[in-house]
Amino acid sequence: MGFRSYLFKRLFYAIIVLFVILTFNFVLFRVMPGDPEKMIIDPNFTPEAKMELRRQYGLDDPIMTQYVNYLKSLLRFDLGLSFSTRRPVWTELKERLPNTLVLFVVTFIGTATMGISLGVYAAANRERFAERFVVGSGLFAHAVPGFFIQLLLLLLFGYYWPILPIHGTMSAPPPDGGFALFLDRLWHLILPAGSNVIIGFGSWALYTRNTMLEALSQDYIITARAKGIAKGDILYHHALRSVLPPIVTLIFMSLPGAVSGAVITESIFSWHGVGRYLLDATLKMDYPAAQGAFYLIALSVIISNLLADIAYGLVDPRIRVGAGGQG
Amino acid sequence: MRKRVHLLIALVLALSLALGVVAMPVAAAVEFNDWGPRVDEIIMPVIKEQTARRIAFERGESVVWSGLTQPADIDQAKSLDFADMRMTLGFHMFYLCFNMREAPLDNIALRQAVAHAVDRDNIIRTLFKGYMLPMTSFVPQASAFYNDDVPTYPFSLEEAARVLDEAGYKLDATGKNRIDPNTGNLLPEMKLLTPTYEVAPTSAELGKMIAESAQKIGLPIVPEPMDFNVMLDKIDMQDFDMYVLAWSLTRNPTHLVNFFHSKNDVEAGYNNPGIRNTKLDELLNRLDMAPDLKTARFAADAAQLVLAQEMPYVPLYSRPYIDAFRKDMVGGYVDMAGYGAANSKNPWTPLNIHRVDEAGNPVEGGTIRWALSEEPDNLNPAVASSAYAWDVLDKLFGELITMHPETLEDMPWMAKKWDVGIWEPAPGREGTTITWYLNEGMKWSDGVPFTAEDVKFTIDFLKDNKVPRYLNYTSDIVKVELIDDYTVTVYFDTVSYWHLYNASLAFLPKHIWKDVTDYKTFEPWNEPHPTMEGYTKLVGHGPFVFKEYRPGEYVRLVKNPYYWRANP
Repeated sequence: MGFRSYLFKRLFYAIIVLFVILTFNFVLFRVMPGDPEKMIIDPNFTPEAKMELRRQYGLDDPIMTQYVNYLKSLLRFDLGLSFSTRRPVWTELKERLPNTLVLFVVTFIGTATMGISLGVYAAANRERFAERFVVGSGLFAHAVPGFFIQLLLLLLFGYYWPILPIHGTMSAPPPDGGFALFLDRLWHLILPAGSNVIIGFGSWALYTRNTMLEALSQDYIITARAKGIAKGDILYHHALRSVLPPIVTLIFMSLPGAVSGAVITESIFSWHGVGRYLLDATLKMDYPAAQGAFYLIALSVIISNLLADIAYGLVDPRIRVGAGGQG
Repeated sequence: MRKRVHLLIALVLALSLALGVVAMPVAAAVEFNDWGPRVDEIIMPVIKEQTARRIAFERGESVVWSGLTQPADIDQAKSLDFADMRMTLGFHMFYLCFNMREAPLDNIALRQAVAHAVDRDNIIRTLFKGYMLPMTSFVPQASAFYNDDVPTYPFSLEEAARVLDEAGYKLDATGKNRIDPNTGNLLPEMKLLTPTYEVAPTSAELGKMIAESAQKIGLPIVPEPMDFNVMLDKIDMQDFDMYVLAWSLTRNPTHLVNFFHSKNDVEAGYNNPGIRNTKLDELLNRLDMAPDLKTARFAADAAQLVLAQEMPYVPLYSRPYIDAFRKDMVGGYVDMAGYGAANSKNPWTPLNIHRVDEAGNPVEGGTIRWALSEEPDNLNPAVASSAYAWDVLDKLFGELITMHPETLEDMPWMAKKWDVGIWEPAPGREGTTITWYLNEGMKWSDGVPFTAEDVKFTIDFLKDNKVPRYLNYTSDIVKVELIDDYTVTVYFDTVSYWHLYNASLAFLPKHIWKDVTDYKTFEPWNEPHPTMEGYTKLVGHGPFVFKEYRPGEYVRLVKNPYYWRANP
């Protein structure tokens, strides 16, 4: 099997999965208890007003009509109007997506850099204090609930030692000038992204350390040592390279978490992002908003999986070659 | 009226002291100016996390910490030297509802016995550290329509047991369960629905406390915490025995019609207990269609009396509004009965609030920061539905009539006076007419004159487009007639004192909105104003004008240069 057919096969599966997800996405919200107009608990909202709202929402159409309209709209990337804000869902997502991406990218770079380096460092210092410290702190950060660490940091740097901003992505109002604004945004990233790194580095460090230890016990490493290759070269050019494929998978598979995992961080630090939007939409039974956000997450999961497959195929020829074939 | 308010404030004070709570300051006589605003700019940062809001208040990044409900937050605010705590009664009601459609809760004695088994004082003391006001009637104490002369059901398990015994609900041989005299069998288990502990811990615990108390007199009531959506669904489908929930009400008692008239025992209606009482219906009809205040008051009093006997709900408690202000940074905020000092429905605080210097003297102008607890997702006044959007919008728009902050009586505002009349929408039928006489010389925030034409346009626009949020206001309006630039008459096809408030819609500037084709998607705050550079089409006639909204970050309002009450 050639790389091209491998890719097409993956693409075909991705489209099928997307269709199934979209259908589930539609059905799920309609079988859930509750109704958007039932969420309005306002004595001034008469039964007639509620019926009018249902009509405007399109909820009085037959379910199949709603489903067909939903699919048609998604193909045009028209996610509809949010029930609660009456604004186009895509406009609302576009407002939030950059913030979520910025937070994710910074978090991701920080977590991956810190996690992988500490993992390698721990593996290179087997049974020393350094390894115990990395493993201990990694396990601690991994085990303590994320929101607890975040609230603790919020109190520490927002209240007891008030040196960092505690909400938003910028000052209100922000400073004038591009560079000043850039610094201001960076300043506001410290707590949310920093806390995410503290919460997340543990699993990366432990994973890297474990795979590195396994790699360091392999015959080719012993051979390399016997050949007198420098310790650093063995560590980074031989051992680390061999554990890259699973780490690359981990990297891509963590991408979807950027949106879904951002719910808590975005809530605690009043970060205007997609995660919080998804939570609010679900709680308010705002079908179009929740469907739109889930659609975005589904797309990101599928694309991430696809990228992981491709990357895995690139870094490990055995994957793309398949049984007996040539890449 | 004023005496009543003072009595009620004294009641809150007495309650707090009786419960061992150190009472916070409650204004004796409210002082306020009817002109303003006295600050140049309000910046409203969006701070969603409650700990962060507390920190922002303590760091001086918000001059107010509003809507305090958690005892821990209230205690924390009270401990701060610079915090000025304000407390007013609220139009809030937390209640226990029975499903009266089916046995055994169709029996009045059973409902009255449960009412006797509810220990409100203990609930308030245990769950809320005393920061709630026990309720015995169906209109909150803050309302001028509150009737305190109704039968009450003081907590007494002995009395509850006596009521049950007299009604024939005898205990079985074990002495633990009661027998239904109508079936001869043990009373069936009755479920009390509450939200889950995760979502609403106090409501869930409260349900448990009521159930445990009822079990002591042999009533098999069991608490059933559940997902809030599922609970709402069950209530809507009338698939429940009892539930606990809260209402946010207004100063008018028309909610009694929505909640207890048999015509509202329908799908999507609010008569959830399913009460159908002919005498009550008659009284509620009189209340709904009262031609004057006197009739409305009589009907509301009488309806509360019937309800207190029928007990479709057990009113449990009313939550006061508690807000903390930074007294070292601002002054002039105004307590408003029923709404609180920082609530968006209080028009007086935005008008009167001012900065203070180190000695506490007023400083005119400048900027204050006022945190929002959620983002105001839509600032189109025709569709905005969240309280957070109205936290902003209410500062941008004025009203034809307003309320006195202490007595809540109607006050002329943008309308200098009004006439209430009668006309004949059809032969032999009467309808109300409201004629508004507007002040002359008022302007929208872009300098265009505000006239009767705008009042007519607003009502016609909302009615023609069947805007759901305003359907309740516009459904009885037949037509709007312009008399001259400053006089306009609104015609209703029914007679009701409450039409005065239904006719007071006047927030759409015709010169902006006449070109709007789809009101649902119109985003006035995102469209530049056609003539005023740096401003948007979100044009109002309130003390402030909208300047900027960075989604999720902050809203910026500046002093309206054309505000009609800018000077004393």
